[in-house]
Amino acid sequence: MIKQYVETFINFKEEIFIAFYETLDMIFTAMIISLIIGLFLGFILFITRSDGIYRNNKIYFIVSSLINITRSIPFILFIIVMIPFNRLILGTGFGVHASKIPLSLIGISIFARFTEQDLLDVNKNIYETSYALGANTIQYFIHFLLREARSGLILSFTSTIISLLSYSTVMGIIGGGGLGYLAISEGYYNFNYKLMWIIIILMILLVQIIQAGGNLIAKISDKR
Amino acid sequence: MIRLENVSKKFEINGKENTVIKDINLSIYKREIFGLVGETGSGKSTILRLMNGFIKPDDGNIYLMGEKLNRKTRHQLVKDTSMIFQGFNLLSNLNVIDNVLLPTKIRKGSKKENINRAKELLSFVGLEDFHQSTIRTLSGGQKQRVAIARTLITNPKIIFCDEPTSALDDKMSFEILRLLKDINEKFGTTIVIVSHDISVIKALCNRVAIIENGRIEDIISLKTKEIKPVSYKEALLGDD
Ligand SMILES: Nc1ncnc2c1ncn2[C@@H]1O[C@H](COP(=O)(O)OP(=O)(O)OP(=O)(O)O)[C@@H](O)[C@H]1O
Ligand SMILES: [Mg+2]
Repeated sequence: MIKQYVETFINFKEEIFIAFYETLDMIFTAMIISLIIGLFLGFILFITRSDGIYRNNKIYFIVSSLINITRSIPFILFIIVMIPFNRLILGTGFGVHASKIPLSLIGISIFARFTEQDLLDVNKNIYETSYALGANTIQYFIHFLLREARSGLILSFTSTIISLLSYSTVMGIIGGGGLGYLAISEGYYNFNYKLMWIIIILMILLVQIIQAGGNLIAKISDKR
Repeated sequence: MIRLENVSKKFEINGKENTVIKDINLSIYKREIFGLVGETGSGKSTILRLMNGFIKPDDGNIYLMGEKLNRKTRHQLVKDTSMIFQGFNLLSNLNVIDNVLLPTKIRKGSKKENINRAKELLSFVGLEDFHQSTIRTLSGGQKQRVAIARTLITNPKIIFCDEPTSALDDKMSFEILRLLKDINEKFGTTIVIVSHDISVIKALCNRVAIIENGRIEDIISLKTKEIKPVSYKEALLGDD
């Protein structure tokens, strides 16, 4: 039994490695973009809320709606809807690179919402405290708000990566490849269930490792 | 040191404008310990926030150290002041010495000197053995002493205190008051303290403003006396 799985793994070694690399390539880019832009938009949401320090209903409504729209369209449809946009930006609508665009957008949306929530969890009096100790707004963000929110943000970012991993499995429909696509195309449609299971187990391991890493970093950074 | 001229402040509460501070005139002098007493909601905290520029008055002017507070000057002026809060307001994600060092992160200065000064101050407030402790593990009185060390690290000319002892029991309150008095005597720091506890005000202040409904009802000069520790027994049996 086990032997057959090992054989399958050896037979498909190359395909699995290539698919694994494609998955990492897709989510790594999307991850970095989500981190930077998601964090930024999360801050915007936090400060423009009705109880924020730069209350602005219009900006909050626009950013919040864009995030909701991105998250509410079924992801497969979202990928298809994005094809012309990919073409506009990259010159092609298909392939691993094109896949990074819808993946980044969904990652940004998820992480922005998480960031808003994590910042809301920080004690409100920190803003007045930072002012009284001489901080301007930027210094309030860096030295007070981010410090207090960081372990929550790390856990949120970990969840975002895991979501990206799961979203990346359907990128096959625009030629994004990756582990999920291999499991479905070779494993499921070609009746190679052993390969499918091998990939499922690989994905489970990957998620476990990411989550454990996130938990560890969050714990180290949390002095509370 | 601090001057308020015809200061008024409105807040919108449930869509209704409510004048919370009504035409206040007040001068607080250098080296003074000045008290603000009054009922809940009378506007004491709001007056402190106006004085350090955190909120701006709708009418009137406020001068700190001779300079007018406005949007341009406030970040500079507030750097020469500091504040102590009822809830301590420490950063829970930083250890004791990093909390004390926090104000230096937003000012120029040598890192090494700052660390030495933070250590000195932690000894001054009686926490020499707690440099690396996390905030969660401290008692209320210890937290407030960390907060006091944090205010002192920038050598403020004015310290604002909003109910600094009301989250503490009598013994700890006494220690904090003693410390504030020492600071005033040793560094000549002007202190403005809000409290609804008359005994705190009596023990510490040179002058007290009684706030009622956003107005100054009266300003009273006090003879301050030695701050003495009291045991529970003394406090129960004594007639003070
Ligand atoms: N940011 C704000 N927005 C709306 N109303 C406010 C705001 N801050 C204070 N107020 C109102 O102003 C009044 C005075 O509040 P303030 O906090 O200054 O009172 P206080 O004397 O410090 O009371 P306490 O002893 O309970 O701390 C209260 O009626 C309060 O509801
Ligand atoms: Mg108050």
